[in-house]
Amino acid sequence: MAAYNKLSPLLAQKLSQIVGKERFQYQESVKADYSHDEMPIYGRYFPEAVCLVESTEEVAEIMKLCSENKIPVTVRGAGTGLVGGCVPVHGGIVISTERMNRILSYDLNNMCVHVQPGVRLCDLAADALAHGVMYPPDPGEKTATVGGNVSTNAGGMRAVKYGVTRDYVMAMTVVLPSGEIMKLGKSVCKTSSGYSLLHLMIGSEGTLGIITELTLKLIPKPLKDVSLILPFQDIATAIASVPSIKLANLDPQSIEFMERDIVDSSAAFTGNAVFPTVVKGQQVGAYILVTLVGDSEAELTMKMDRLGDIAEKLGAYDVLVVWTDGLKKDVWAARSAFLTVIEAETRLLDEMDVVVPVDKIADFLVYTHDEAVKQGVSVRSFGHAGDGNLHIYCCSNDLEEDEFKKRVAKLMERCYAKCTEFEGQVSGEHSIGHAKKVFLRESVGDTAYSLMGAIKQVFDPNGILNPGKVCHDI
Amino acid sequence: MLNILVCVKQVPDVNLVKMDPFTGSLIRAGVPAILNPHDAYALEAAVQTKERYGGTVTCVTMGPDQAVEALRECLAAGADRAVLLSDRAFANADTLATSYVIATAAKLLGSFDLIFCGKESLDGATGQMASQLAERFDASQLSCVSLIEKLDGEKKTVLALRELEKGTETCEAQLPCLMTVEKTNYHPRIPNLKSWKASRTAEIEKYSAQTIPGLDPEQIGDPGSPTKVPRTYPPVVGAKGMMIDEGSAAKNAAKLLALVSDIL
Repeated sequence: MAAYNKLSPLLAQKLSQIVGKERFQYQESVKADYSHDEMPIYGRYFPEAVCLVESTEEVAEIMKLCSENKIPVTVRGAGTGLVGGCVPVHGGIVISTERMNRILSYDLNNMCVHVQPGVRLCDLAADALAHGVMYPPDPGEKTATVGGNVSTNAGGMRAVKYGVTRDYVMAMTVVLPSGEIMKLGKSVCKTSSGYSLLHLMIGSEGTLGIITELTLKLIPKPLKDVSLILPFQDIATAIASVPSIKLANLDPQSIEFMERDIVDSSAAFTGNAVFPTVVKGQQVGAYILVTLVGDSEAELTMKMDRLGDIAEKLGAYDVLVVWTDGLKKDVWAARSAFLTVIEAETRLLDEMDVVVPVDKIADFLVYTHDEAVKQGVSVRSFGHAGDGNLHIYCCSNDLEEDEFKKRVAKLMERCYAKCTEFEGQVSGEHSIGHAKKVFLRESVGDTAYSLMGAIKQVFDPNGILNPGKVCHDI
Repeated sequence: MLNILVCVKQVPDVNLVKMDPFTGSLIRAGVPAILNPHDAYALEAAVQTKERYGGTVTCVTMGPDQAVEALRECLAAGADRAVLLSDRAFANADTLATSYVIATAAKLLGSFDLIFCGKESLDGATGQMASQLAERFDASQLSCVSLIEKLDGEKKTVLALRELEKGTETCEAQLPCLMTVEKTNYHPRIPNLKSWKASRTAEIEKYSAQTIPGLDPEQIGDPGSPTKVPRTYPPVVGAKGMMIDEGSAAKNAAKLLALVSDIL
């Protein structure tokens, strides 16, 4: 058990002096928001203090103080995580990056942008487009901060074409647990220069260092895009179409899948029934949503024709063209509302964010549904069919919380084991936090888990940075 | 065979339009133009009616050349024919001059049993066009229609459900009838690939002031518009809201009470 110290009034005063009284919350003044993320089933843990930082130097001073005094420090962006990653389970202080939200500068000669970590994804995406360029990562939670996205290596809907957040981080400024400021990476496209500490930092969930500035890669904005809805009889037929779509040289920007029940709920919740539920007189059971990009309408038409041929052969009821800006907005708003809809309709909620090979998606979903029935828990799912990343939510409105947790634990144990059997990953983009540690260990094995722990030890010998997360056992 | 007319308008996406606070004019640069959403509901009602009873749906709009995009959207969503009325002489028209041009041009296009309109446009939002057109077509009018229940070809009547503030009512009206449509049962469809492709290359008929017979130059555009707009200005926005987050429901309630007490 690591022995952490409590925040004394004297230390609190020193912290307050670093960030100023206005940006410091202590004891009773700590807002409840800082005690949880968006998955409250993993518990609420209040920090002793919150520092709303505005600069790298402030973070460095705070870390020096906390390092000398063995005070746990947990970094938090927008708090939109789902595995308790930004929740201070061992108390101490929370460093919030929400006020480090400036887009610092664009370097279009080198196709990159310099940002502070607290910039919201939606703000960066819109600002980049206004500059004629695109920041490709597109996780569903648009109000997350880019610092949070980098810390979890978030993927999102466009990963099938462009890759994940990791592929767009060129450089960063990091404050180590000791308070030392370090720059990792450069604004260049290649490196063959030793171990990549940059890539070690990406996806480390704030357990190795605190990101205070980022240089992110940009690409030219696609000139034209179109989304297409392929309605199918059921989820198995829908998913079975994905390998053929990927092989058709269409280079799709996204391939999403959704089941009928979540589409119905989204329509009821948003008041916008944008997805048709009956097509050519047949009830739709599942949908594939594909986005194609190109330089011209002619190029897109050619791709759509090819997709149309494939879709017909694979049993799609039709191919629906989402061409106008209004329809695109409605369709993607409905897709983006799925988690909000589930949260609104569900009293008790837990989640899995597994990744399985694309040709195992349908089998995995069938297995999960069967196991959920055995445990008396309902599951709802949607996700990224193009890359095998499934968002599966375990829901109950009638069970007691303890009973729900017991049943979900059994369900998850079996599902994660099945995921490992299918050569999948525990998490595609939501990360490990403290909620998925046990499943990570089982998935990667003791040796890999121990190596991760050893790396944590090198960066953070006192274990003060986001303790109890990812591979850090106390 | 029913002959159905749908009157549509291309409008700037007002969600993206900002107003110049000094001049009061709309900043339209870079703002995408869209098919007026209320017109899309009207089109869906027209197409559903055609699918049920047979017939032809013609869409007409008055606007600049780029309004063909809105018409192609209509063709993709099930319209059979699209007509653009475009001329510099039509510019600055108010609703009176616009309804005059559309009704006069419609005589060229045929005799219509049903005319569908959106209840208002996103930009002007006067809500006057439908009633003016009903008068000019000498048609009966049903506003706020949420469901077309029945068309009787022999009696030449339509039975429709109207959605009103305090409930619904079913009305019967004589054809020709002009209807404005609610979204309730008429969510715009997403076109399939076949109809979308056809719409991209379909012919759009175009008429100008010269090619619409009998058009009185004094009743079109600026000269034909008695409505003058002396000034536009942004609406006054009230005080900004605030979030109360004191850490617990009890504390939030106490804070709210304190704030309200101050006001009272």
